Amino acid sequence: MTTEGTNGLQQDLAGPLTGIRVLELSDEKGQFCGKLMADLGADVIKIEPPGGQNTRSIGPFLADIPNRERSLSFWHYNTSKRGITLNLESLDGRRLFRDLAGMADVILETLPPGHLGGLGLGYEQLSEGNPGLIMCSLTPFGQSGPWRDFLSSDLLHMAAGGQMASSGYDQDDVPDAPPIAPGGGNAWHIAGHYAYIGILAALYYRDMSGEGQYIDTSIHEACAVTTEGAIAIYLSNGSVVQRHTGRHASPDMSTRIQLAAKGGDWVNVTRSGSNLTPARLKVLAEWMDEHGLAQDLLDEKYYSTESILENAFHITEVMADFFVQMPQAEIWQGGQERDFPWGGVRTLDDIMGDPHLEERNFFVQVEHPELGQSFTYPGAAAIYNGSPWTISRRAPLIGEHNQEVLCGELGVSQSELNLLAESGVV
Amino acid sequence: MNSKSVNAKSAKPRPLEGIRVVDFTWVRAGPWAARWLGTLGADVIKVEWPENLDILRQNRFTIPPGVEPGPNSTGQFADTNATKRGVSINTRTEKGLNLVKQLISVSDVVIENFSSRIMQRWGLSYEEMRKLRPDLVYVSMAGFGQTGRHHAYSTMGPSAQALSGLTFLSGLPGEPPAGWGWSYLDDTGGMYGAMCALTALRHRNATGKGQHVDLSQMITGITLSGPAFLDRTVNKRQSKREGYPPGNRTVWPGAPVINNYRGPTVAPHNAYRAKGGGYNDWCVIACFSGEEWVRLAGVMGNPAWAKDPKFDTLNGRIEHQEEMDSAIEVWTQTLQKYELMEVCQKAGVRAMPVQSSEDRVENDPQLRDRGMYTQMEHPMLGTWKFQNAPFKLDKSPAVISGPPPMIGQHNREVFENLLGLTIIEISEAYEDGTFWPPKMPKYPYIEEALP
Repeated sequence: MTTEGTNGLQQDLAGPLTGIRVLELSDEKGQFCGKLMADLGADVIKIEPPGGQNTRSIGPFLADIPNRERSLSFWHYNTSKRGITLNLESLDGRRLFRDLAGMADVILETLPPGHLGGLGLGYEQLSEGNPGLIMCSLTPFGQSGPWRDFLSSDLLHMAAGGQMASSGYDQDDVPDAPPIAPGGGNAWHIAGHYAYIGILAALYYRDMSGEGQYIDTSIHEACAVTTEGAIAIYLSNGSVVQRHTGRHASPDMSTRIQLAAKGGDWVNVTRSGSNLTPARLKVLAEWMDEHGLAQDLLDEKYYSTESILENAFHITEVMADFFVQMPQAEIWQGGQERDFPWGGVRTLDDIMGDPHLEERNFFVQVEHPELGQSFTYPGAAAIYNGSPWTISRRAPLIGEHNQEVLCGELGVSQSELNLLAESGVV
Repeated sequence: MNSKSVNAKSAKPRPLEGIRVVDFTWVRAGPWAARWLGTLGADVIKVEWPENLDILRQNRFTIPPGVEPGPNSTGQFADTNATKRGVSINTRTEKGLNLVKQLISVSDVVIENFSSRIMQRWGLSYEEMRKLRPDLVYVSMAGFGQTGRHHAYSTMGPSAQALSGLTFLSGLPGEPPAGWGWSYLDDTGGMYGAMCALTALRHRNATGKGQHVDLSQMITGITLSGPAFLDRTVNKRQSKREGYPPGNRTVWPGAPVINNYRGPTVAPHNAYRAKGGGYNDWCVIACFSGEEWVRLAGVMGNPAWAKDPKFDTLNGRIEHQEEMDSAIEVWTQTLQKYELMEVCQKAGVRAMPVQSSEDRVENDPQLRDRGMYTQMEHPMLGTWKFQNAPFKLDKSPAVISGPPPMIGQHNREVFENLLGLTIIEISEAYEDGTFWPPKMPKYPYIEEALP
């Protein structure tokens, strides 16, 4: 029998993308897509400029000491990858990149449109000797169109993509609040997910046809397709959604679904008013009654679908009065035990140590041998029972695998490598 | 099998041609996952039952005026379920369940987003299903997943977002969380559903083996806070702290300068009111370097206030952020949001308008140029726009090639052509309540498909 490893799976199973070699030429825009492929078993070689990529300067930093080897952001987004440095502006750098491309299945790049082509490293050139090559360009606005060369950022994408127009506050809660761009760099996540879908589709197609291809992925389009019903509502009746605190933007003034719990915490009850049936209201009211807080909700007059809809705002207010007396976890878990799909508005402080997550082996210890320490990373969102999704190593140090890849796999000699380093190629 | 006619519109091949997906999903995350598999060429068969309608078939906000209300008339269902076929079948009867099993035996992927263990209760656990189809790819999308003590807990997008920590990181400091104004984790959960299916299919190509992928919608959200997660586990930094989350800024005025996981700590970095003063007349501007700040000052016409040396350094701009943002907003209110974008971008300054749904459909020249929306005839909605894929594969593209199914629309072609039922058997299945609730009137398209 094999030993149990991460995710409760057999250690000797290989990840689902084992055998796929990826070259990643990407900054904050594509590194998450590369991480997904790497954690799923692909051999992702991250190619940075000599001295390391700018994303290494993004905090937070280990012990708050800024340093290109201490960026926690870089650590998170580059797990399971190998890393080499290569100056593509130099002739030798381009030659080595071409050699690597000849052995690659996938190239993921986020350089400005046309940049690689200008270096003689466009898809046409690189696929000449490697017709199975898949190349995905992941850029702010794609390879064409009037905005193609515009500058961007996560905030800019959340504005243009429509995320901000849907997120913010009710006028009663925060008068004249701006539209809010949720944090965390999610424009890059959204785009990375879609780039991943495109790349996997191309890999599948290659399995069937033997042919590689070029993929043009636009971050703006990825964001623009990620606002759920907002477009359908506009197309249906011309109305534009209004922003509400902690719930769906909508054309109307919906009931609140984010209610305060004891001690300044919050609970989300999804659709409190319209989703209640008489039977569920009964369960809820009896629970509240156990705490002497049902007010009038046990009154028969509420027990029809129409009456629940008519009194949705009142019911919500009674719930709010109950919630504010109760600790967050007791409310949302008590709701779940009674079949309500509620959730506490948790912080990462609340999430750490969640036994459910522990039982799914979500918290992964990743070793940093150069520091003599291990740290807890967020693990997989899904358990693949036949091929594990798991972090295989920490992010690469700057140029950590230069020798392994350039000498070991491309056949560059040690003295050549020294020369390349001295001349700023690696 | 009729996927040929669905594919007729695309001249190029599609990557998942030949793959069949049994789609038990409903509402949002699951259907969104299966939609992408359909646009990539898979034959997606959505399994429904008219007495337990998909909530999106009931979304009153997306029935256009003048369109007869009903389960086939909502715009949001249409876009979320484009390029699928649909059958209606009562899985609570033995006969219905047996037909579902036959369908699984001729399919490659089963995808569902029920609460954990519902499929098991039907006798459709992974172990049972792989007896029907040994190399099956089974993607389950329960809110908490199928494993772990809270697997029976269920989520909708908003509560999954809350539990994952995503809701908390959106908003202004000192105010309630603003959260996400839509079910972001239904979008994300949907993307992961598609990603898991594609990954397992690719693995099947390499090994010949299928597998069960146990996805948790809620957990997809936690990994999206990676740098904050490591700041918590490595640096022990508490999430609840002064000035966090910092609204649209990277750091809130007066709060300690701590990285807030928005990328580099810079200023200006905010949303500003634009000319017009309408609800969505806002423009965002961000300067990632001193050079970009100098360019912004130039675009503004180098006003006297911006020449104050206190704004020359990043620390100075952070310290005097309120004053700087107010002064910038005086200028932004003199131009409309697209003009602000143009003058800033021309000068190498990062700026984009806040775009509403209307803006994206009507006013965004980039989305228009790139063909973001496909127009297609829908039997109830008339000419309707569908959202295209944000990735363009040059040899085997994703294509929205058909409208969503009306409920039960493809019963006859699926059960006759795919499973080999005779016309008589199909008629009987309607009469005995397997294909349609006996007491519910049948839609004309169903009557017409019967002999």
